[in-house]
Amino acid sequence: MTPFELVEPASLGEALALLDPDDPAVRPIGGGTALMLMMKAGFFEPRRLVSLRGLGPGITGINEGADGALDIGAMVRLGQLERSPVIRRAAPVIAETLVTHSNVRVRNVATIGGNLAHGDPHMDLPPVLIALGAEVVAASPSGERRIAVENLVESYLETALGGDELITSLHIPSQRNRRAAYIKVTARSADDWPALGVAVSLAVENRAIRAPRIAIGAATETAMRLPKAEAALTGGASWRDTGREAAAEAPVIGDHHGSAAYKRVLVGVTVERALRRALAGVEIAG
Amino acid sequence: MQKTVSLTVNGKPATATVEGRTLLVQLLRETLGLTGTHVGCDTSQCGACVVHVDGEAVKSCTLLAVQAEGRDVKTIEGVANGDDLHPMQEAFRDNHALQCGFCTPGMIMSALDLVKNNPDPSEREIREYLEGNLCRCTGYHNIVLAIKAGAEAMRGSKAAAE
Ligand SMILES: Cc1cc2nc3c(=O)[nH]c(=O)nc-3n(C[C@H](O)[C@H](O)[C@H](O)COP(=O)(O)OP(=O)(O)OC[C@H]3O[C@@H](n4cnc5c(N)ncnc54)[C@H](O)[C@@H]3O)c2cc1C
Ligand code: FES
Ligand code: FES
Repeated sequence: MTPFELVEPASLGEALALLDPDDPAVRPIGGGTALMLMMKAGFFEPRRLVSLRGLGPGITGINEGADGALDIGAMVRLGQLERSPVIRRAAPVIAETLVTHSNVRVRNVATIGGNLAHGDPHMDLPPVLIALGAEVVAASPSGERRIAVENLVESYLETALGGDELITSLHIPSQRNRRAAYIKVTARSADDWPALGVAVSLAVENRAIRAPRIAIGAATETAMRLPKAEAALTGGASWRDTGREAAAEAPVIGDHHGSAAYKRVLVGVTVERALRRALAGVEIAG
Repeated sequence: MQKTVSLTVNGKPATATVEGRTLLVQLLRETLGLTGTHVGCDTSQCGACVVHVDGEAVKSCTLLAVQAEGRDVKTIEGVANGDDLHPMQEAFRDNHALQCGFCTPGMIMSALDLVKNNPDPSEREIREYLEGNLCRCTGYHNIVLAIKAGAEAMRGSKAAAE
């Protein structure tokens, strides 16, 4: 790795001042699990890394509001989320997803902020968080804004974040009365990076499906919702037909985990399976 | 740019001057001479470099030394009690869980992390937990047996101490 400066500010204001919107060689560092690989490969040669480790409790806590909404600090590590009793109760799909995400030693270091800001399309959590309706809270010298997770990543490794903007937390609306499931499809070992990830979340009222959200990752340029499949499901389509709609709608691309044609078939089958899993034991009319 | 880091390594305070880009594993091996922690892949894949930081297993090849400032690091050198091997080390020896031994320090540090949270892991739990710890020699079978035996011995010595 080429030499760089590593700074450890003690406040958010200081951290923002140390970032430089005009210099792509200045980056924040969370756990460093993604950055370090890019640096070792010579793909990224930083001038300065701004560590967010010293930023204090606002960025390291997991809080549940009275309404059941969750606020998760950007520096919360994936292993902490996986083991958190609050997450296991209020959004169990997150803990379930993490079990086959990378491995224990990586999860003990990687942070949720770094995970979301990385922008690699082959990740497990983005479709899950999109299905849950999550937003990131981002801070820059011009103030704070919220960005829906589905709008955060714009293309391969490119996000909507400015060069002097940091994710400070993740907000997940209350999942009370909602059910969710995530299915990871891998082409090699069970805990490989996903070839496809499908997340669904929905409510059931009077034996009818309400407000479904269907999101996919790892098969399209960025993780995304599939609004036509969602509309079909709300309109009473079977799980199989909803899967067909999803496969027809998704702008699938191929990679070394599988061709576009193969992944398109997977999308249809996996959406159907994810719906079956989310709705296991629930009676639906029709 | 040079920085001074102070941390605890195997229970003893350590201070070293490092660069921003110095990895924790470089600090341990090259500055502190603790060469029990190995570097296999250098890219987070193999687990030869696993150490404990504040009681949790991490890969020291992808952690910057500066990120360990003020933290409590344990390496394979801190596991035995003088000349008395730790029950987990004993179990690796007794079960023939190593051949070349390159992966062993990382395997043992991962095993101790598993047993800390799960004192009686099933074979399946052990195998799942070892994802990210690679061994080129043993075929894993005896490593799994050793971890089961090591966990049992640790439960026994804990019961005896109580
Ligand atoms: C061996 C291995 C296996 C893996 N397997 C999987 C897998 O199966 N599934 C999967 O989904 N992922 C997998 N990953 C990827 C892993 O999820 C990411 O490396 C990790 O989540 C990144 O988090 P971090 O905190 O380490 O990020 P960093 O490396 O610290 O940062 C990543 C990016 O985010 C930026 N950043 C960090 N924090 C912030 C912030 N608060 N605000 C704004 N920008 C920020 C950095 O500048 C950088 O661009 C794997 C990684 C490894 C090493
Ligand atoms: S050397 Fe660190 S994981 Fe291989
Ligand atoms: S004993 Fe040789 S790599 Fe495991």
